Amino acid sequence: VSDPIRALVTVLGLDQHEAGALAVARLLRDAGFDVVYNGRFNDPDMIVAVAVQEDIDVVGISCHSWEFLYYAEELATRLHAEDPPIPIVIGGSIITPTDRDEILAKGIDAAVLPTALGDEVVETMRALGARRRDASAPWA
Amino acid sequence: VIIDRPSDAAELKRYERKIGDPGSFPYTRGARAPRPADALTAAAADDGTITRELSGEGPPGRSNQQFQALLEHGATGLDVIGDTPTMAYLDPDHPLARHAVGNQGVSLCRAIDWVELYDGIPLQRVSVSHSLPSAFAISGLLIAAREHGVDPGVLRGSALQVPLYHEDTGYSARLSFDLRMRLALDSIEFATRAMPRFHAYVEDTYYFSDGSIEIVDEMALGLVEIREIVRRLIARGVDVDAFAPRVAVLVNCRMRLFDEVAKIRATRRLYARMMRDEFGARDPRSLAINVAAHTSGATMTACQLTNNVVRGTVQTMALLMAGVRAMEISAFDEALRTPSHEAHVVALRTQQIAALESGVSEVPDPLGGSWYVERLTDEMEQAIEERVRFIEGLDDIKELCAQGFFRSLFADAMVDRAAAIDTGALPVVGVNRFVMDPDADHLLRDVSQVRIEPSWDHIERITAWKAGRDLAGVRRALADLESAAREPETNLMPALVAAFDAQASAGECTGVLRVVYGDPYDPFGGGMQRP
Repeated sequence: VSDPIRALVTVLGLDQHEAGALAVARLLRDAGFDVVYNGRFNDPDMIVAVAVQEDIDVVGISCHSWEFLYYAEELATRLHAEDPPIPIVIGGSIITPTDRDEILAKGIDAAVLPTALGDEVVETMRALGARRRDASAPWA
Repeated sequence: VIIDRPSDAAELKRYERKIGDPGSFPYTRGARAPRPADALTAAAADDGTITRELSGEGPPGRSNQQFQALLEHGATGLDVIGDTPTMAYLDPDHPLARHAVGNQGVSLCRAIDWVELYDGIPLQRVSVSHSLPSAFAISGLLIAAREHGVDPGVLRGSALQVPLYHEDTGYSARLSFDLRMRLALDSIEFATRAMPRFHAYVEDTYYFSDGSIEIVDEMALGLVEIREIVRRLIARGVDVDAFAPRVAVLVNCRMRLFDEVAKIRATRRLYARMMRDEFGARDPRSLAINVAAHTSGATMTACQLTNNVVRGTVQTMALLMAGVRAMEISAFDEALRTPSHEAHVVALRTQQIAALESGVSEVPDPLGGSWYVERLTDEMEQAIEERVRFIEGLDDIKELCAQGFFRSLFADAMVDRAAAIDTGALPVVGVNRFVMDPDADHLLRDVSQVRIEPSWDHIERITAWKAGRDLAGVRRALADLESAAREPETNLMPALVAAFDAQASAGECTGVLRVVYGDPYDPFGGGMQRP
């Protein structure tokens, strides 16, 4: 049996909307993930610091503000610079297909649009998190 | 005007005790006696009926243009919301604000911002509601009125007060309980004298219920907060009949029409009895709560945007039938952005059509007397009252805040609601029923998916303004504010207005107050320092 995937669920910048993040945290926990929920008011420094300190396999950011567009590149670059690279998923009700294309181009590993239901969120996080967890296993 | 009363003597007695005529105790059928049905004329605006939409975008000048457009389209009031830095009591030059200035509301941090915001707005007749940090909103409005030559005695509008649940959902600014409460009580007491027509205390049950707790908890927590604030104001020696006539509640409105109507009717009744029997209010206006409403943003979906226009219509009808006299409805692009001009106009037209064409506003409380609505009202009243007693029986309210009791309620409810949509237990058309291929779902996308860029130039403007101020004057005003804050008997508001006048910013004033209350000047880790 593999160790559980460790996910960091968080909210970016001054976005106050936590409903999506809290819901995703529970979905992931129910799906067997170890979840670290980091609440509101995080900039890339804090997100990277927590991800490293908590040995996170995948970072999930839930947004209801446009700040993700402007932080995406810095977040992707810094999380991918870790060894092994930490993947990052951004989801939220305000993300349009255009936004998705833009943040994928900036290096974000996956974007979850408002049309997604719970299973898609879990499977996206699982696929990326498992890859990182297996790469960081002592026998890898 | 139709008001049917029971003819049977025993029934009439019961009617008078539980329901009463519109404008009579216990105000189940509404705070005011019937009026002519010219709901949306200018005369009706003076009578208190307010059509408005939530607005605010970019720097103050851009929001002012938005206001002018809304008024041109028939709005009779304004409802201003700050961007996320303003709501968190941070100035635009705070590092954490760098991509958040002006793209989800208006940026307001200094006196001149307020003067620009209301430039050319007829404050004598337009009611201005503030979904903003209340003490700063009241200071800013007072300064704007003075600069534009408007007597504060005629200012109408409102400010939301959210001291109990502020940090637990939606409005966190890392302010301590005692500071939040001080700002709320001081601003209410101050405005009661300085702006007597202004509703300085609006209990906002919208922000903490939307997307989370259900209808009974919405009103129970609202009443818990009202009770705490009223007790504290009375303990200060403020006469209940001096402030209670201007207390209002801003409720949420979701999709279950009869539940929402019953909730509002039950709330009026509970409030009237509570103010009379528990708090000793005597002025009839102190017993009749003013109910305003904001329709649920969480019911607005990112899929099939046209459906949101229909939802807004259902909600508007519910509110009109409940006798709500001031409302704003969430715009059809709510799930994707702050409202576009097009969505604003559709929202205003929804209110105008419902009020002028449907006839529902012509009769007060048209659903009153329906066995279903009266039963729902009774059940709702009982459930809310029991819940208030339960919560107050647990512990002191400040202690419950400290223990995270309310935070857990909100967080659990957010998760439960998401799960109910995910499993389909809560039907949402277009999301978990009658889903459409995203490629075919294009109606209204053109206006709804226009991105609003952050106002980076406004950050530069504020940085330059800060560097060019009379710093000695700013420091003196902040020192005076600090002295006032250290004296619990002193009202903070005169020092706050004076600090704004001396060109201190909202972020600086807040930092000084935080330190007095034992917190860091900048708890957001941005390294901001006192000037």
